[in-house]
Amino acid sequence: MIKAHGITKIYGSHTVLNGTDFTAERKKITYILGTSGGGKSTLLKILIGALKPDAGNVIFEETDITQLDRSELDPFRKKIGMLFQHGALLNSLTVGENISLPIREHTRLDENIIKIMVKMKLELVGLRDFEDLYPAQLSGGMQKRVALARALALDPEVVFFDEPTSGLDPIVAAVITKLIADLNKIQGITCIVVSHAVEEAMRIADKIVILYLGKVLVQGTPQEIRSSLDPLVQQFITGSPDGPIAFHTSRKDFREDLLVE
Amino acid sequence: MKKFVGYLGRTFIRFLQDLSSVYYLFQETIFQAVILFTNRKKLEEARLLTYVNEIGTQSLPLVLTVASLLGIAMTVLISFQLKDVGGYSYIPGLVAVGIFREMGPLITALIVTGRVGAAFTARIGTMKVSEEILALETMAINPVRFLVVQRFIGLLCSLPALTTLANFTAVFGGFLFGSTRLGIRPDTYVRETLDVLTFTDIFSGMMKALVFAVIIVMIGCYRGFIVEGGAEEVGKATMVSVVSSTLSIIVFDTVMTGAFYG
Repeated sequence: MIKAHGITKIYGSHTVLNGTDFTAERKKITYILGTSGGGKSTLLKILIGALKPDAGNVIFEETDITQLDRSELDPFRKKIGMLFQHGALLNSLTVGENISLPIREHTRLDENIIKIMVKMKLELVGLRDFEDLYPAQLSGGMQKRVALARALALDPEVVFFDEPTSGLDPIVAAVITKLIADLNKIQGITCIVVSHAVEEAMRIADKIVILYLGKVLVQGTPQEIRSSLDPLVQQFITGSPDGPIAFHTSRKDFREDLLVE
Repeated sequence: MKKFVGYLGRTFIRFLQDLSSVYYLFQETIFQAVILFTNRKKLEEARLLTYVNEIGTQSLPLVLTVASLLGIAMTVLISFQLKDVGGYSYIPGLVAVGIFREMGPLITALIVTGRVGAAFTARIGTMKVSEEILALETMAINPVRFLVVQRFIGLLCSLPALTTLANFTAVFGGFLFGSTRLGIRPDTYVRETLDVLTFTDIFSGMMKALVFAVIIVMIGCYRGFIVEGGAEEVGKATMVSVVSSTLSIIVFDTVMTGAFYG
């Protein structure tokens, strides 16, 4: 179980997260939804210990990971996997080397076993023949699948996904969504997904957390979210351009801004 | 005036911050290098020779070309000065000492900064921007061990070797010019050179090369690690990296020349 409590992060005068609280249950899929620029990626970086919050804590298996320094974080990081938004594969290594990298680093397995493991992970994402290619030779969707294979290399307990389906065609997006659901169902992996794909979340999530202005607007099962009477929630899940969430995020008055010179 | 003082103050503080960060990176690099050398499997995977090849062997054509031309140019200039007083017999010694003590290590380090230091910053900066470094950290892989240590050891081996080869090539350039154009007898030239050169000349050149290697790796990698943003920032960081290592190399060169011979 991962429990975030009162997470606050301030950049200069801009408060990105303002006391975010939520819990992600073990062996469940938790979707964190929010508008673009709403602090989702910042929250994710705090959850994996890459960023320190200005206030609040993140509890993973009774340890507050925000208090750990870099070397103390390593045991935690060996239990998690992370799928980055753009894959973040190492461009100088082949697909196979990328996936075997964490295995080589953290285990003393025989070379042949590593080879078999790489093949298994690639088979899982449907790219078994692509071991010897470099990431630059793959399409964006394929890179993401390879990145997912790498995230799964050490059989993590928890996998974090940063916008796993953004920028992909509908079929690949559906494939990735199904992979997330299968990972959870078949292997019992806890999945924490940061996204703005409402439909996909409604389909596979056990729990949805909606972030708005750095705070948790609502959290609950997809049914609870759907039946929420809050106009903000309704606007978000229906994707309506009209409603309490304004399209304009400019902080200055338009008229004043034009007349200023 | 107030603005100017403020600017100076901020620059100085930033300089101190950079200095302490580079020092931290250096410490971490040494620590990780020790760990690497105690782990046989990781040592094999680190492919140190690839880096020596990339940094050293591939710099060789450029370094040797520049060194031979430098040797000739120095001989031409010195002979021009000594012509009137008939002191041609001093040429071999002057050229050898000038090259071994000063020009050889300095020019080699500057070439390597431009060729290799810039590449370190660009490479690591691009990895930082595309979240590859964050990905390494998330996989509990120490980025310093994965990215800096091989480059550090590679350059620590390559730069003294390159410097030695550059020194001999430059002296040989001077020898060719001196014996063919200035009419100094080849055997006299060689004897004069060997008479003047001392062990300290060679040793000080090596020490300089080692210090310059540390400067190039540390500044090159550090500038890459602190990149934030996009391609524009990677370009800027590369520029700053080359400028600051060039400057640091020249400062340290002066200090070390002073320390050895002052």
